Amino acid sequence: MAKLKETILNPILKGNPITVLVLGICSSLAVTVELKGALVMALSVTIVTGLSSLVCSLLRKTIPNRVRIIIQLVVVALMVILVDQVLKAYAYAIDKQLSVYIGLIITNCIVMGRIEAFALGNKPIPSLLDGLANGIGYGLILIAVAFVRELLGSGTLLGYPVLSAIGYVNNGLVILPPMALIILGCIIWIHRSIDKDLQEK
Amino acid sequence: MNTNSNVYTIIYTTLVCVLVAAILAFASQKLAPKQQENEKAENISQILTAGKFGTKEEWQAAGNAAIVQYYKDNAAVAFTVNAEGQKVRDLDIASAEVYGVPGLKAQNYNIKGGKPYDIPVYQFKNGITVVAIYGAGLWGPVWGYISLCNDLQTICGAYFDHESETPGLGGKIKDDPSFRAAFAGEKITLGENPFDIVKGGAPGGVLDDSKVDAITGATMTSKGLDAAIDNWISSYVPYINAVLASKAAETENAEEE
Amino acid sequence: MEYLSLFVKSIFVDNMIFAYFLGMCSYLAVSKNVKTANGLGIAVIAVLLITLPVNYLLNTYVLKAGALSWLSPKLANVDLSFLSFILFIAVIAAITQVVEMIVEKFLPSLYSSLGIYLPLIAVNCAILGGSLFMQQRDFANVGESAVYALGSGIGWYLAIVALAAIREKMQYSNVPAGLKGIGITFITVGLMGIAFMAFMGIAL
Repeated sequence: MAKLKETILNPILKGNPITVLVLGICSSLAVTVELKGALVMALSVTIVTGLSSLVCSLLRKTIPNRVRIIIQLVVVALMVILVDQVLKAYAYAIDKQLSVYIGLIITNCIVMGRIEAFALGNKPIPSLLDGLANGIGYGLILIAVAFVRELLGSGTLLGYPVLSAIGYVNNGLVILPPMALIILGCIIWIHRSIDKDLQEK
Repeated sequence: MNTNSNVYTIIYTTLVCVLVAAILAFASQKLAPKQQENEKAENISQILTAGKFGTKEEWQAAGNAAIVQYYKDNAAVAFTVNAEGQKVRDLDIASAEVYGVPGLKAQNYNIKGGKPYDIPVYQFKNGITVVAIYGAGLWGPVWGYISLCNDLQTICGAYFDHESETPGLGGKIKDDPSFRAAFAGEKITLGENPFDIVKGGAPGGVLDDSKVDAITGATMTSKGLDAAIDNWISSYVPYINAVLASKAAETENAEEE
Repeated sequence: MEYLSLFVKSIFVDNMIFAYFLGMCSYLAVSKNVKTANGLGIAVIAVLLITLPVNYLLNTYVLKAGALSWLSPKLANVDLSFLSFILFIAVIAAITQVVEMIVEKFLPSLYSSLGIYLPLIAVNCAILGGSLFMQQRDFANVGESAVYALGSGIGWYLAIVALAAIREKMQYSNVPAGLKGIGITFITVGLMGIAFMAFMGIAL
């Protein structure tokens, strides 16, 4: 039981995929301009990482080592595309919202990284939990960055005027991708000042 | 079992590929009719939104059937035109026939390759004409519809859509109503470069006719949309000129009598 | 001349790292020293250089609307572009796997220092991004797509070696404890990105 708790808590704090493992950076730059996009992305990645870890863990004993990357990617892509197709037929409005993220989810290194590092060597249930927890850890950082960027870049939160209502002049630089990197750097700084074990020598 | 032998690897990979292909083919076969219906209603709702018959949210709430019905009730004629400004064929209004995104994409190849093209024109009973545009944004295609008022030179409204632009930056061409609203009332220039999306606005803050302000932080998407509008509207120019010429001839005749 | 301007443009103006921020994960993680950065950079160039022309041919003769008409005129209406995503990924993954096997066989020390990031080239967004950009820009022939691949690869290579060199020097700087390592690297890349934005306005 203690081990399961560890599996869940570790990716959120000590082994956070973004701030510690440095996975999934591309998408975290792309979707953090506004809070809404970050929330959608966080949710989708959590589900996809969890499910694909589960499936790959179930298949782990049968996958030939030399072609494992292709098999993993095909499994992930199949699931994402299938969900996209079903949504397109039965929930078109939701699919319109999500379709932008599909490509970003398939190529998100967190999905592949967790399959390689965890799911291939562990039983299905811990793999599922590891995938979900990593998605949550990733999502928390996304939301934090998006909060700062939307607030300072557009003066709004979830589209509602906050700073812009009191005469704030938007800072265009915060909207650009380089600034997301700098904000991420600052978040890592805060994270590591609190948790001194993570500091690099 | 030795999972690393060559035979096993090849058989396993082949099996997975066949299985995945089968699942995808089955899913796309089964779901295709439903998806096409959704896509068609989406296209029509975009045309209607550009023509200012309602907002996108209203159409979404109305549902597919209501969208198609509204189009059937209010469209006057729909047809395609070529590089000489002549009508090529009619689009059937009774079955709500419209050019989907793949259709626009195919015509975009023709326009850019200098080949003969036929591009859609939708005319409504209240005199509004809706034309289509298509081009490349930063990550994927961008497309949309621009509606022209009675004089065929003033923009009435516009609606743009995209496949994969960055949400909050390039995605604003679709999501930001104020960007779309800026197009209304602008004039198009009947030439090579009918319209401009400019960066940074004009000195003094007032833009000339046929110019709107680009989206901050989305240079590439704005440029791509600008090129799409230029390419397509200038392809419609022969048609617009032909209509204007025949209108002018009519008024002349009327004056002579 | 056209090839040259495409080449220069894809290295600097359309730099995968600083203009599009693609391929960031391995870029940040494997830039601790110039030697491994060098190795990964060359691997990325190699993978790009093979996958892009292959994907170009795949796109032109199989996927694009009407692409199958060389088989029989009856197939002129077939549009398989909905498969492009999964096929591009499969090609990339296969070629990454081959590169991985070659590196493992001939450069075992590099193989162990690259660790998980070598197989992760398969999901390196720079590679898939390259293929999707190529599909979107409608290059005229295989040559152009190869030049584009080489340019983007070299751009990525230059970016990672430059960052690795800065990070090697930074070891001697007095960075706040919490920022040491990856934190200051993020900020450095951000500043490099802002500097590279100067190339954006150049038309070639």
